[in-house]
Amino acid sequence: MSYQIISIAGLLYIIAMPIYIVYMLTKNKKLGFAATGMIFSGALIHIYGFIQRFKEMYSINHSFMRSIPITNLYESLVFFVLCIVLGYLFIEWKYKNKTFGVFVSIIAGITIGITDLLGITKEVQPLVPALKSNWLLAHVTLSFIAYAAFAISFITALIHIIMGTENKKSFKYIFSTSALGFMFFMFVSVILDVVTSSNPKSVKIFHSTLGNPSIGISLFSWLALFGTIFLFWGLSNRIIKIFENFKITPQFLEDVTYKAIAFGFPIFTIGGLVFGAIWADQAWGRYWGWDPKETWSLITWFVYAFYLHAKFIKGWKGTKTSMIAVIGFLVTMFTYLGVNLFLSGLHSYGSM
Amino acid sequence: MGKIDKWNDRVWNFFASVDLAVALFIIISIGAAIGTVIPQSIEPEPVIKFFSKFMSISSAHKAYEIVSLFDLNNLYHSWWFTFLLFMFALNLIVCSIDRLPSLLKSFKTSPKPYPLEILEKMPIKSTIEINNDKILEKVKEVFKKKGFLIHLFETKDGVQIQARKRSKTRLAVYLTHLSILIILAGALIGIFFGFRGSMNIVEGTGLNFAISDEGKAIPLGFEVRCDKFEVEYYENSGVPKAYRSYLKIIENGQPVKENIVIEVNHPFTYKGITFYQASYGFQPTEHAEFRFTYFDKKGKEHNISAHFEEKFKIPETSVNAFVIDFSPALGVDEAGRLFNMSTDMINPAVLVVFEEKGKQTQQWILSKIPETWETPYGRLRFNELWGAQFTGLQVRQDPGVPLIYIGSILMCVGLFICLFLRPLNYFVIVSKNKITFYSPTSKGMIEKQIDEIIKETKGDKA
Ligand code: HEM
Repeated sequence: MSYQIISIAGLLYIIAMPIYIVYMLTKNKKLGFAATGMIFSGALIHIYGFIQRFKEMYSINHSFMRSIPITNLYESLVFFVLCIVLGYLFIEWKYKNKTFGVFVSIIAGITIGITDLLGITKEVQPLVPALKSNWLLAHVTLSFIAYAAFAISFITALIHIIMGTENKKSFKYIFSTSALGFMFFMFVSVILDVVTSSNPKSVKIFHSTLGNPSIGISLFSWLALFGTIFLFWGLSNRIIKIFENFKITPQFLEDVTYKAIAFGFPIFTIGGLVFGAIWADQAWGRYWGWDPKETWSLITWFVYAFYLHAKFIKGWKGTKTSMIAVIGFLVTMFTYLGVNLFLSGLHSYGSM
Repeated sequence: MGKIDKWNDRVWNFFASVDLAVALFIIISIGAAIGTVIPQSIEPEPVIKFFSKFMSISSAHKAYEIVSLFDLNNLYHSWWFTFLLFMFALNLIVCSIDRLPSLLKSFKTSPKPYPLEILEKMPIKSTIEINNDKILEKVKEVFKKKGFLIHLFETKDGVQIQARKRSKTRLAVYLTHLSILIILAGALIGIFFGFRGSMNIVEGTGLNFAISDEGKAIPLGFEVRCDKFEVEYYENSGVPKAYRSYLKIIENGQPVKENIVIEVNHPFTYKGITFYQASYGFQPTEHAEFRFTYFDKKGKEHNISAHFEEKFKIPETSVNAFVIDFSPALGVDEAGRLFNMSTDMINPAVLVVFEEKGKQTQQWILSKIPETWETPYGRLRFNELWGAQFTGLQVRQDPGVPLIYIGSILMCVGLFICLFLRPLNYFVIVSKNKITFYSPTSKGMIEKQIDEIIKETKGDKA
């Protein structure tokens, strides 16, 4: 089955994480190759799984355009990860720099892990009539490519804030180090959740750590979480040194953040807003209806428009703009997942 | 007089400022976000129910009062949200009028040399020491090869080269902004000159009006008849594959359009009014009829239709039959018992009583299970219960839609030009023993290109 193949890809992404860390600490070239190789072979297997899933859907739908596997929450998460990984591999190749690999494999690992934990159905499902539209296909594909670009801008923006902020007690700084610490903790926790779960359907995220029924374990996990955050906050000088060792400068990070957003913004405009509107127009006769998902897409769009205007017209520089990029991605994730989890709407990913 | 001018200036500058734009981005976002949390409903109950999740019932009622005071339960159509969007549009217009003329002028006026102080303030500066008479020619050549437009000036600090490329793409920003205005205009036209409504048409009947969202009847000027409605399901499942309505348009008693088929994602337009397949439902009517096909011994097919409990003759026999029960989705469980799976017509079935010489037998006939078609009196297939479902159509007339599409296209074009084809500006001062590159574009974006140009210049020397 395709989802088993994709799980293997996820496993490779997760294994890549510690290799990247050791590579960054030791600067050992061979380890660097191993880490990239791990992510790269993960991506190949991922693509193979994607094609398998395509075939499975084709055997139900008998239509090429309708068989692209991005029609439910599971498939969309998987596609999102694939876009991030491919985008990252491109950046690694273009800038000859492997330092973001850690973060990419953390995001990929968490996301693939979540598909195991939220009890999301992984079965291939036949398409309901509303989803049978080529506009929808273009809408979803391009949206996720844009989300992946925003994810990359998020990573570089976070590191940029950490490198570029002098004052360790400033909100920006504490916020970014906490975000990194939390992501790291969540990565470990999701792996533990998956490993210890006997029946994935009944397991909740953070079950093995923060939300453990045993008060001892739960308490320990909270301590571990705060410890991790504190560690990231306290050790950030070391982390910055490591990045400097790899010739990462704040300017470079700002540049990559901008480029990722400048790439993602028009794609999101076309795919997320325009194609979504055209699809809704053809399916229901309304191009805009203030449905929660639509509204949050608009908010996401506004946040990145804010980024561009602040950067180019108001001349905001440095970590201030990166902060907008970070918020932009958090809003993006709310648009993508939060709306389904907390608000209701028309979009089919709502059913989990 | 002077005072009024000053005020005029202030108001103008207020609306021309990008600070206002940035503030509006944030305020509109927060406003829109509130609307995704508070239930958008004119009826009070859903709102009160929502608030009573967090507070006591009496406070929830108070909360509702506040909500309705600010129209938070109809936020996107409230006066203040409309006002914010209006401000947004005004901001865009004023800002463009404020800036566009000077941009256009800058294309026309011939360039002037920049004073060194201004160049020195530019975020990018890169110097190389070089001693070569021909260096000026070489730099020029490299820029020309890369498609730059070049201007040369003799200054006291050396020769100043201004190299520009794609400077006209700065206009694309205005295209993007204009497209937003076009889209807003399209939306306004839709609100004032269009309508939206819905109609539920029972199979075999017609309607000549739609019901607006506010519950008013909107006459269409013609009648839409539904000849048939069907839901197609995926094999062996209750997952719908397609909803389909077969429609006919009747004007002045004459059918003017027939055999119209609409599905989800495949609407139909007549006289500017578009019909969308939106929903469906079960509604038994007087005229509903059960439709059968009877296969006689010679293999000939006879179509039969009959109302509920209305007797019909099985062709070429002396048997009478009538329907006494109906189920929209009859299933068979493991023990062989019949049960009703759903209210959708996934597997419609009828209980038919056969009467022969006063003797009665009865049998369930399931439309999707051929074994049940075999009766003691021959093969009788149950096709459908016609006239018991209605098709739910969305109806819309919106003359603003073309503007929405045009605006969307322009926005995409504008954004791509503006973000992927940025204008490039370089200033180079070539003096006796060194050349210095400057660029006003913010740091980090252009350094690489400068490095490239430097490399090529040097390469030429080698
Ligand atoms: C959400 C709506 C908007 C979008 C998508 C948008 C998009 C853009 C983009 C992509 C740029 C180019 C930035 C760059 O140089 O890369 C830009 C520039 C600009 N925007 Fe907007 N914009 C929006 C709303 C506004 C509003 C409401 C104003 C009102 C003042 C405004 C004022 C400007 C100005 C003054 C520039 C600079 C133009 C120049 O370089 O001459 N924008 N906008």
